[in-house]
Amino acid sequence: METLAIYASRLVTERDYFASGHRACSGCGEALALRYVCKALGRNTIISNATGCMEIVSSPLPETSWEVPWIHTLFENASAVASGIESGIKALKRKHGYTKEVKVVAMGGDGGTADIGLQSLSGALERGHDFIYVCFDNEAYMNTGIQRSSETPFGASTTTAPAGKFSMGQHTQKKNMPAIAAAHNIRYVATSCSSYPFDIMNKIEKAKQIKGPSYIHILSVCPTGWRTASNLTITMGRLAVETGIFPMYEIEDGKYTLNFDYPKLRPVEDYLKVQGRFRHLTKENTAEIQEHVLTEFNRIRLLAGKKIK
Amino acid sequence: MIKDTSIEIRWHGRGGQGAVTSAELIALAAIHEGKFAQAFPSFGPERRGAPVLAFNRIDAENPIRIRSGVTKPDIVVVLDPGLVTLINVTDGLKPGGCLVVNSTRTVEDLQQEFSGDWKLAVVDAASIARELLGVNIVNTTMVGALLKASEAVKFDSLKAPLGERFGARAGANFEACMRAYNSTAISQITTTGTKKPKSFAVEKMPGWRELLVGCMVTEPGNTKRFGTGDWKSQHPVWDDKKCIKCGICSLVCPEGCIKPNNEGYYRANLFYCKGCGMCAHECWTQAIKMVEGT
Ligand SMILES: Cc1ncc(C[n+]2csc(CCOP(=O)(O)OP(=O)(O)O)c2C)c(N)n1
Ligand code: SF4
Ligand code: SF4
Ligand code: SF4
Ligand SMILES: [Mg+2]
Repeated sequence: METLAIYASRLVTERDYFASGHRACSGCGEALALRYVCKALGRNTIISNATGCMEIVSSPLPETSWEVPWIHTLFENASAVASGIESGIKALKRKHGYTKEVKVVAMGGDGGTADIGLQSLSGALERGHDFIYVCFDNEAYMNTGIQRSSETPFGASTTTAPAGKFSMGQHTQKKNMPAIAAAHNIRYVATSCSSYPFDIMNKIEKAKQIKGPSYIHILSVCPTGWRTASNLTITMGRLAVETGIFPMYEIEDGKYTLNFDYPKLRPVEDYLKVQGRFRHLTKENTAEIQEHVLTEFNRIRLLAGKKIK
Repeated sequence: MIKDTSIEIRWHGRGGQGAVTSAELIALAAIHEGKFAQAFPSFGPERRGAPVLAFNRIDAENPIRIRSGVTKPDIVVVLDPGLVTLINVTDGLKPGGCLVVNSTRTVEDLQQEFSGDWKLAVVDAASIARELLGVNIVNTTMVGALLKASEAVKFDSLKAPLGERFGARAGANFEACMRAYNSTAISQITTTGTKKPKSFAVEKMPGWRELLVGCMVTEPGNTKRFGTGDWKSQHPVWDDKKCIKCGICSLVCPEGCIKPNNEGYYRANLFYCKGCGMCAHECWTQAIKMVEGT
């Protein structure tokens, strides 16, 4: 990597708005992603947070890890609460001369976003509230002990879709949440990953500039649920991107841009074999996953106006 | 008057070590003997590696109505050797009771740490588990040590619950229990201990009257008071000669606890460091090494 990139970390603000002393697992990629998101959001932010790991580990009453105004909501209504806050700020501006620029942000896990909070999220996107929605996708309901969600990948073993004699674990493909968000014709949708701090911070910066709703879907490595070593959290996210399993792209006013493409994607096996949740997969399972990944990646390539390799 | 026929046990372990399984095995064994029994963990937001608690209540004659955590235990079992000097594991331990510890130290050596009127039982459970089970998971092994130190349940009553819980691995686990039972050393505590471990409370939640409306917390970032440093078993050590001051380590720490010092070299605040090893893994120049200990 070029020298500039090596020293790029030095340019990142040291200021954290998600404080130490939080109770996330050792090596938690979701806490890492959240740290970057908060750095980029800065202090003029109000956060509405659905329940899930990040809510639970950051707010053991009477303590909080948050250094911006933050509300713990139910599972299903983070976006509804964000809508209310944003409307309230608008009313303050209209009636009481409030002038501060505050960004309202709703966030949740994959369960809180793609399953349980989907309805309120859809409503908020459709009504066009000026807010950012951030989904921290660790591919299962981790806070309550690794239950499958609609974002759990094909073949992963979870406590509610366990692999065993009669099952290979999750038998459905990940729900395409970014496409669902984009279908609301919002101006900015992006995917990112906890192993790419600059990518996360740049995309949050972009979303901050948008007037209206934007959606950012962050693959967040969870060593506990994925059954990986805690020092491999960054490695795992990079592998997800370099194998093409998790494509990193933006949809700006409907236009796709693929942020990371490679002359040759790494074999999915590199990613699968190091994770306990995929340990049971057979050669045939892996081949099936490989084929699906290539098809999906090529689909995004086409959408981004690239040639298929 | 109802005769007190109850035994209360408190288990100290770390998240992921299986203290809850230990407690459940004991409760199932007691129920197997026709007694009343409870087993439950202390529920908190703490995760893998954090000190955690589990509890048992056993009553030979009376149904158990109480549902709160055990604060005055008859027996305390410590699964993780590091916890003995880290937190006050004997908090509330009844006179005449018993402390059961997994440690490689001898009972003579370890008893210097304590004072009080109770027994100390020590077993090198980690070695037993590694040898017989192939892993350093001591939850079943420590059940054997507990039964040596006290007759909470009969040894044979463990067979059925172990079989149910561990299936094909029940035999090895039973053997680990037995080995621990036979190699646990016990001593009466009378000496005055030297070290003072951190005091702790089983639950330090404020009462509802003390909470603000809506459970508002008005002090931003006050988890900073809470050290997560005791979750780790390894900590990072820097070799400044290799460091190019790139700051990557600081960026990739999930705790946000790595900062440059006055000379621009990076250091972790061990008060928060959970020992994940990410900084060491991501450093370009391998300037960071993970070293055993907190
Ligand atoms: C309606 C409702 N159902 C279930 C729960 C229990 N619950 C709390 S957090 C959680 C899991 C959250 O999963 P996800 O949104 O993926 O976030 P993660 O913990 O994985 O970060 C569950 C099931 C709840 N609080 N509310
Ligand atoms: S379960 Fe996973 S996402 Fe939740 S705190 Fe632990 S590592 Fe982080
Ligand atoms: S990552 Fe390594 S080289 Fe870079 S600042 Fe940290 S210790 Fe120094
Ligand atoms: S091991 Fe390194 S990265 Fe992990 S918590 Fe400690 S200082 Fe942070
Ligand atoms: Mg999740």
